Amino acid sequence: MTARSLYFVNWWVDTLIIGGLSIVVWVGLLAFYHPADTRAFFWFALVLSLVVNFPHFSATVYRLYQSPDNIRQFPVTACGLPLIMFGAVGASFWQPNVIAPYFLMLFLLWSPYHYSGQTIGLTMVYARRAGFSMGRRERMALSAFVFSAFVCGVIRFQRGGSTEFYGMSVPTLPLPDWMDAAAQAVMWTGAVVFAGFAIVWCIGQRRLVPPIILLPAVTHFVWFVPGASLRSFWVVIPFFHSLQYLLIALVMQLKVRIDVPGGEHSWRRVGAEARRWGSRNILGGMLLFIGLPAAFVWLPLPLMTTAGILAAAVNIHHFFVDGVIWKLRDAATSSALMMNITELAGPAGVGLARPKVVEA
Amino acid sequence: MRNAVAGAALAAFAGSARAADVATGTSDPVAATPREMFLAAGIGAMIACGAASFFLAGRVTERTHVALAMLVVLIGGFCLFVLFGLVGREIPMAGVLVLLGLIGLFKLMNQFEIRRSRGPRANKTSDQ
Repeated sequence: MTARSLYFVNWWVDTLIIGGLSIVVWVGLLAFYHPADTRAFFWFALVLSLVVNFPHFSATVYRLYQSPDNIRQFPVTACGLPLIMFGAVGASFWQPNVIAPYFLMLFLLWSPYHYSGQTIGLTMVYARRAGFSMGRRERMALSAFVFSAFVCGVIRFQRGGSTEFYGMSVPTLPLPDWMDAAAQAVMWTGAVVFAGFAIVWCIGQRRLVPPIILLPAVTHFVWFVPGASLRSFWVVIPFFHSLQYLLIALVMQLKVRIDVPGGEHSWRRVGAEARRWGSRNILGGMLLFIGLPAAFVWLPLPLMTTAGILAAAVNIHHFFVDGVIWKLRDAATSSALMMNITELAGPAGVGLARPKVVEA
Repeated sequence: MRNAVAGAALAAFAGSARAADVATGTSDPVAATPREMFLAAGIGAMIACGAASFFLAGRVTERTHVALAMLVVLIGGFCLFVLFGLVGREIPMAGVLVLLGLIGLFKLMNQFEIRRSRGPRANKTSDQ
């Protein structure tokens, strides 16, 4: 395993996108911006959403629906699930004060769980790239740390009494006080056990664990434990999650588009394909989060309510689709996740294993 | 007498206010609260998923049947969440159970429509 292939792009880009940037922002906010008023961040976050958050959802939808083969391969996810989502959206529109709060509550609890899954996935990817063995025990310790941090975050987020989402007040899940201590106990136990496995690996290999393997978990900890107490930081956490996702999704897209028989391996082609994919996803994101609510403007509901309910549905659909298309157990997908972007810019052999999800 | 028994049962399971309505014969079986109507729609959706699985038997893969079953779990889980999601305000321990139930639901849905590794028993059966 060469030093270059440990990263999707290089040390700087991977470190910043996977977590470095979010940790720097958290430290900056901690030092210079304490107020709970997030209005100053709202517009900033909205602009970032247009180019990062929304395209991240679009990238998943694009990946699933761009080929009829994919729809045939995952019929319930592609066709059945949207029907169920439409049903839930319809019920929320019909009873915005009775059903919608629970639908939004479900989404707001599911979202950090989904982030936890991505953290574990990223750790597994970098561990595989570094040759760090992640057996059942290592994975259990990591999961204990990551999912307990998620529970700690949920407890902290819920302490406010109610959460604002698109101007709607979402009730919080009432939890007893002792639960925070219990979740922290499990989290630190998981951290210590995983650190023990890492030390054993270091001694056996006579080298240090590459920090990029630990960065997703450390970032996740910052997001959900100390970061959860800083309201202004909450607003930007989805942006950083989306940024992580887009890095991996872009490399996967480049692999399946460029690493084909007769495919041109050059930086020009990499740039063109990235621009094509990026512009389509920006447009798709706008359709999902602006166009779709605009189509329901005739409803006797405030536009923000409609937009919030639809955003929750798009998110929940994304959680399912993401689970389907990114399973690392799929040998072809994991082979694509071992790529470095420079391999696509220079002459290289075509990989035999290709992802199961077909690209247009 | 039958109304009185029904009233007593409702008092035990659903609260004394509604039970009093039934006992005095004032309950309108057609009128339903939004939550009850939502619950009815949820049951309808679960029946639709079960019926789809039945009618598609032999025509779709086992993975699709499992996915339809998981949709039933998702709909049922959400209906229960709408009914009991905030019960933790009264009983703190119930709030913990709701959160654990949701985590279990999320974990299960994470396996939605993916190829599952077959256990040794299943392999043995297929070998035979």
